[in-house]
Amino acid sequence: MNRASKQKVTTYLTALIGTILLLIGIVLSISVGAADIKAQTVLHSFIQWDESKEQVIIRTLRLPRAVIGVLVGASLAVAGALMQAITKNALASPQVFGVNAGASLFVVSSLVLFPGLSSASLVYAAFLGAALGGVIVYSFASGGGMTPVKLALAGMAVHFFLSSLTQGVVLFSDQGKDALYWMVGAINGKSWTHVELILPWSLGGLILAAALSRSISILVLGESLAQGLGQKVTQIRILSGLLVIVLAGSSVAVAGPVGFVGLIVPHIVKKLVGGDYRRIIPFSALFGALLVVYADILSRFIAYPFESPVGIVTALIGAPFFLYLAKQGRGIKQ
Amino acid sequence: MLKWMKTGSVKGTGLLLAIAVLLALAGCSSTQKAADSENTQGAGQTEGGNTKTITHEMGETEIEGTPKKIVALELSFVDSLNTLGIDAAGIADDEKKEMIAKLVGKETDYTSVGTREQPNLEVISSLQPDLIIADAERHKNVYEDLQKIAPTIVLKSRESTYQENLDAFSTIAQAVGKEEEAKTRLAEHEKTIEETKAKLKADPNATILPAVVRDTSFQAHTSSSYDGELLEHLGFKNAIQQEEPYAEMNLEQLVEIDPDILLLANNDGKLITDEWKNNPLWKNLKAVKNGQVYDVDRDLWTRFRGVASAEAIGADMLKMLGENK
Amino acid sequence: MRISEQTTLNKKRRPLVLLFILTGLLLLLSAVSLGVGAVYISPLDIIADLAGTGASSHAFILHEYRLPRLYIAMIAGAGLAIAGAVLQGILRNPLASPDVIGVTKGAGLAAVIVIVLFPESPVFWLPVSAFLGASAAAAALMLFAHKNGVKPATLALIGIALGAIFQAGIEYFMIKFPDDVNSTLLWLAGSLWGRGWEQVWMLLPSVPFAIALWLLSAKLDILNLGDDLATGLGQKTKQLRYVLLSLSVIIIGMCVAAIGSIGFIGLIAPHVARKLTGSRHKFLLPVSALIGALFLLGADSLGRGLFPPIEIPAGIVTAVIGAPYFLYLLRREGKKA
Repeated sequence: MNRASKQKVTTYLTALIGTILLLIGIVLSISVGAADIKAQTVLHSFIQWDESKEQVIIRTLRLPRAVIGVLVGASLAVAGALMQAITKNALASPQVFGVNAGASLFVVSSLVLFPGLSSASLVYAAFLGAALGGVIVYSFASGGGMTPVKLALAGMAVHFFLSSLTQGVVLFSDQGKDALYWMVGAINGKSWTHVELILPWSLGGLILAAALSRSISILVLGESLAQGLGQKVTQIRILSGLLVIVLAGSSVAVAGPVGFVGLIVPHIVKKLVGGDYRRIIPFSALFGALLVVYADILSRFIAYPFESPVGIVTALIGAPFFLYLAKQGRGIKQ
Repeated sequence: MLKWMKTGSVKGTGLLLAIAVLLALAGCSSTQKAADSENTQGAGQTEGGNTKTITHEMGETEIEGTPKKIVALELSFVDSLNTLGIDAAGIADDEKKEMIAKLVGKETDYTSVGTREQPNLEVISSLQPDLIIADAERHKNVYEDLQKIAPTIVLKSRESTYQENLDAFSTIAQAVGKEEEAKTRLAEHEKTIEETKAKLKADPNATILPAVVRDTSFQAHTSSSYDGELLEHLGFKNAIQQEEPYAEMNLEQLVEIDPDILLLANNDGKLITDEWKNNPLWKNLKAVKNGQVYDVDRDLWTRFRGVASAEAIGADMLKMLGENK
Repeated sequence: MRISEQTTLNKKRRPLVLLFILTGLLLLLSAVSLGVGAVYISPLDIIADLAGTGASSHAFILHEYRLPRLYIAMIAGAGLAIAGAVLQGILRNPLASPDVIGVTKGAGLAAVIVIVLFPESPVFWLPVSAFLGASAAAAALMLFAHKNGVKPATLALIGIALGAIFQAGIEYFMIKFPDDVNSTLLWLAGSLWGRGWEQVWMLLPSVPFAIALWLLSAKLDILNLGDDLATGLGQKTKQLRYVLLSLSVIIIGMCVAAIGSIGFIGLIAPHVARKLTGSRHKFLLPVSALIGALFLLGADSLGRGLFPPIEIPAGIVTAVIGAPYFLYLLRREGKKA
């Protein structure tokens, strides 16, 4: 009883602090950039619209960019949490398991083969690619009996194959070279068009994931137990897989493969709020958004006053964390 | 079974060793022959008479006589040769014949030697050229291979400044024995640029920004880029004065810089600026308000680089901005 | 899943016959490879030139480009395949490869740094730095894995993580210096373009290391039995892994230094070999070597002959050929599991 209530307090506190940090991050994200905009101006712009240059910049450039950051971060982190749950692998994430690489390959190929393609069709290309990466790994993982290490190796090998194919496309076309910047994962220069593009997919995906979280929690306890409790294990797995494809695919289509968000966020969240997926999934969304928004702010200083892709920052933070996880032997025991 | 395996492995080892020895022998003998064939190749050409030594980015190269068959591995070298009235025999054209036709202004008969990144050494050698002109950045790793085929000079093209580009032109002229023509031509070039500058009469307070526009990015060319520098020679102050030649930008930064003249070098297809055009910020750019946004050819402005191309860029400017009296 | 002991028992194909067949294939492919390229050289001309009696104009092309590339493809292909087979043995995992444990990425990062930060550096810096990068990556791998007792699983995971870190570094430099992206990408893809006798001499020292690995192949078999059993049989598993890993990394380092980070040979060649001859390393290593040589030689010849005068880097050809096979393989592994 005491312990449970303590847990409750921690959860609320984490939610509160996380939300405040996210709001601060969004305000910072809106005020930091080439044009110097004071935080007051930012806050003012929420209350009263006018047509000053600052406000137009905020409204048409910085706000959609921050919103994209939130959506991409939340989607990727939840996709990672779902993958870690259904594969029972601490290292599962869209990056490590080739989902991002698959989506990238398809997007870059479409850019090269059909240069006139609309951004909306790119989303579908990304879905296809993400599905390709995901299905390969899923069919590999679903057999059971595979240890996390083998799964990680397989995922990484899929990742290498897909990304070297992308490299080949890039090397042999001018448009491909133009896509290189995108390939690291960038959210700068995004507009409301992009928000419209990703919003239905990621919002829908996030809500469904939250709805599914109870079943997933039970699934994680063990398949036979879940079956005993009346859960349709196969359906849950397939649905989760589809959600991963939608969440990761739409993110990659808009922002490129922003790496490691899906790997590290669920781990941090588990540390903070425990192993119940009813909490892990919403908190992953919150902290994923937090990570990408702050990483995006940092990315503006790499080549200030010019932009660098946010994916560089998440990779520079995420890769050492990955090493830390590996050293802990996280992938070895379940 | 074990016993059988043992004998098998011993035989296998013997076989492997035998192959290794054979390969090694073949290797030795063929280097020997390669050296021989090189000697004979060299000997065939000494009758040319006068020998000159050309100093270039990777040392000195001796050239005998006047080279006739020339292979150019960058576009600016093709421009230089064309300006001197020479058709290159081989060009690293990335398999884009139409681009070369645009560059030299006519259909020429040449052999494609593949991409500029990885020119095909086999094709180059089968052309048996008298001179190869290679780029200091892209081809430094194959300099020695090229030198084995024919006298090779390595010049700056890809990462050259405007001045270095003119110097490269002079060096090429020296190599093909057309120094006098080159001097006259360069003087003429200087005059053309000066005249263009006088006609354009750029406002000294106005800024210009050339940029390469793609479907996902907007790359500004600063004062240190080739086209940026050329524009400075034509009297236009670049909006970004810095050492780095390129800068990746978004609309917000463009609004901050707000150049008076905006030059967009692009290929066909969807462009990032198509979307920016819907934004009120774009409509408030000085260049947009004053109707000073121009689309320019990406090949000519950022890829060709040479004496004639520089003049063509000047002519482009005149055509777009009009004579300022 | 231990590396398919079952197949060992099932495959009774005679290793000697197999080696003969593969060698024959390699010779055949060599002959084809010598003739293929932007300039076609007929078999008769090749024979005449090799015998030294030919006076054809192709002699130069043959001696300067095709022969050295032939040897490079053979040695590097064989080297990467052997190293891959040994890594799969050490990590007791059929999906391990030089790419996956981060060694080639380490070499790649070092090479990228030289390309973008020291563009004026002399030509030989690139291979030297690539070799050092590979060694540093391997050293880091062993250092991090050391505390955890050099267990195969830890090695694999730490390798993947290190690879991710190097990849992040590579991307950082490519974005910071967009001008050099082309040369960087070309190097990263791995290509035999512009490689000559110099690279052949650079690769030759890897041969004794490969032979050393072959001599140690019996120990690899014991390692495959599992740590407890291996220790019981008097093997110092930790030291043994270090030695084997070091030898493989030296070979990989040399190959990568000579031709860039060509992938998938070290992953796929050992698989094909295992299917053909089972998992006893005494046969697995030489068969892998021959298949690796065949694979790279085939890839290079294809890349050269497909769209002349444009050359497709061998690394991209290996990926394109390797991908479908790899998917098939994953499916099979998945089913077995």
